[in-house]
Amino acid sequence: MSAPVLSVEHLTIDYEVGAGTFHALADVSLEIETGHVVGIVGETGCGKSTLAQAIPRLLPEPPAKYRSGKILFQGTDLVTFPRWKFPTIRGTGIGMIFQEPLNSLNPAFRIYDQLAEAVRIRQHREAGRTLVRPDGEAPYDYSRPPEGPGAGAVLSKVLVPPTAQDAAMHRAARARPDLKEEVLEYLRLVRINDPETILGLYPHELSGGMRQRIMIAMALSEKPSLLIADEPTSALDVTIQAQVLTLMKELIDEVHASILFISHDLGVIAETADEIGVMYAGHLVEFGPVADVYAHPSHPYTKALLRAAPRRYKADGPLDSIPGSVPNLSRPPPGCPFHPRCPLAEPRCRDEPGPPLDPAPGRLPGHRSACYFAAEVASLP
Amino acid sequence: MGRSLVDLLIFVGKRLLQLVPVLIGIIVLAFVFTHISVVNPCAIWYPHAKQTILNQCYATFRQPIYVQFFQYFQGLLTGNWGQSQQGVLVYPQIAMALPATVELVLASLFLMIFIGIPLGVIAAQSSGRWPDHLVRIFYLSGWATPTYLGAVIVAIFIAPYLGLPSGGDYSGPPPFREWTHMSVVDALIAGNLPWTVDALQHLILPAAVLAFINMGIATRMTRSSMLEVMPLDYVKSARMKGLSEFVVMYKHALRNSLITTTTVLGVTAGGLLAGTVVVEEVFTWPGIGLFAYDAITAPNFDGAIAVVAVFAVGVVLANLIADILYGLLDPRVDWR
Repeated sequence: MSAPVLSVEHLTIDYEVGAGTFHALADVSLEIETGHVVGIVGETGCGKSTLAQAIPRLLPEPPAKYRSGKILFQGTDLVTFPRWKFPTIRGTGIGMIFQEPLNSLNPAFRIYDQLAEAVRIRQHREAGRTLVRPDGEAPYDYSRPPEGPGAGAVLSKVLVPPTAQDAAMHRAARARPDLKEEVLEYLRLVRINDPETILGLYPHELSGGMRQRIMIAMALSEKPSLLIADEPTSALDVTIQAQVLTLMKELIDEVHASILFISHDLGVIAETADEIGVMYAGHLVEFGPVADVYAHPSHPYTKALLRAAPRRYKADGPLDSIPGSVPNLSRPPPGCPFHPRCPLAEPRCRDEPGPPLDPAPGRLPGHRSACYFAAEVASLP
Repeated sequence: MGRSLVDLLIFVGKRLLQLVPVLIGIIVLAFVFTHISVVNPCAIWYPHAKQTILNQCYATFRQPIYVQFFQYFQGLLTGNWGQSQQGVLVYPQIAMALPATVELVLASLFLMIFIGIPLGVIAAQSSGRWPDHLVRIFYLSGWATPTYLGAVIVAIFIAPYLGLPSGGDYSGPPPFREWTHMSVVDALIAGNLPWTVDALQHLILPAAVLAFINMGIATRMTRSSMLEVMPLDYVKSARMKGLSEFVVMYKHALRNSLITTTTVLGVTAGGLLAGTVVVEEVFTWPGIGLFAYDAITAPNFDGAIAVVAVFAVGVVLANLIADILYGLLDPRVDWR
């Protein structure tokens, strides 16, 4: 097994607003293996989107406050990462697709300009490591310290005027090449039929489905190591949802990216993800391989959630629902957050601190559940 | 889609046609108000004159007011803007004074755009923290300063401290022909660098006073529309591309905030044209404000009407330019 591209460790985030403190994420830990798709499900307000935006440090701070924990992205802890370096991890490192395609493209710029901007960033970062000299000699390697007498070489670079060759090389690096072909390539990748026409259009001239495809193309054009899809299909109508979902499934196979897929739709996650995480009131209550979690849920909330999902074969009668309501995140219940609504709840669920996310007994390795009675969940209706 | 050049020209043409009835209405109103507000102009113009001269004067004003108006309007249509009671023609005076005022307004607009808008961005970025409060104190103190007080303080205390002139548009009669009557432009046309610098030194203080007093509106609009735009997804997606915060703010967010700011600046620019009177008076700027003041107090009916009409045209044109810029900035605007 290769190293995880992302590992979130005991991440706790609060929102501090005038009305009080909202515990948006409580002790969330998860890992995304390279090339895996991890799905996160949960009700509205359970912290899914907070998690998605917390990873690339996109949350406005304040009100968000990182209380504790680590976000290790390719070995770098993003929680202690300096703010001015945030842009360097975004785009080529972590890409993101947003929920509202109607708002996620800038209305004032043409599609080409927005896509070319993304491609240009990637090219700059690729070129930053290996600037090729015009005479084809060894490329500069800026990632390593200069050879020979270190400080002296740096000084001489500053003091001695650049040679014509160096100047030509830097001009070539600064020049804005025509990125049309590359942009078209990515538009074709997301199955847009007439990409040449699209280039000159503004976002408001396109439908929601088209805009979401362009967003996907934009995120992919930077070849991110990790792609976060924050409910990419929720804002679209059902037929377009199906199209975009099919596209995403095909792309997942094609680009082999590591993906964090946020959704409130259990069916979508079942079809796309390798692992699934279930969130409830800011806690990650269950995490494991998709098939195992769906077949043998080890947390009462997961069980109830699966039961509440509409099924095709249910002929009549009301849909199942979970009794009670989601707790107020400014005053979470003591102990396990789910105990007020849980059929298995006993006094220790309230009196002891919330159960840790431990391996579920009798299940596949990697299947973890935060419940004292994980073994008894199977006996629930 | 109605966004071709032809559509734009038709749009501008329509707006200019609309200007004609507006202008006629303004002239009628200005004519009526000037003529009914002064009870006996002859007595003011000729306080110690003989009865015969007074009778001549009364003869004009005893005619019905519509006859007087048609006489005036006939002259206007043939290009005669009238004259003051002393026989000084109105048109040449306005042709000299208006460009100077336009220059002053443009200079203060320049300062408002290149200082006021970035201040708005800074305030929005640090909303609720000390830079935001500092910016707010700055523009509110400008907003709260009476024009005469600000102008006098700058002219008397700040001008000598900075070693800048506090009156006129040149230090002396310039050694070249004033083609446009805009001091900096004329000096540039003549290719005379020392005089350009001299003209700029005379321009900077009155323009700065005007800008300081009116900057609040640009800063505040930029700040509030930036705050509206910043939480939107496209700003986040720009950030998620890996762009630096500067590019995200000044390219992606500001571009969309400017759409509202432009409209407000257009209205402000139109208003400034007529609002420079006090600043021009204090800095003895040879602009139209001074002329307007004299025309109203004399009273010089023809001059007052002409000034009102010119101001109206200025307001309409400033709004038209703002609308065109608005359309250029926002690709969703349809010219039709």
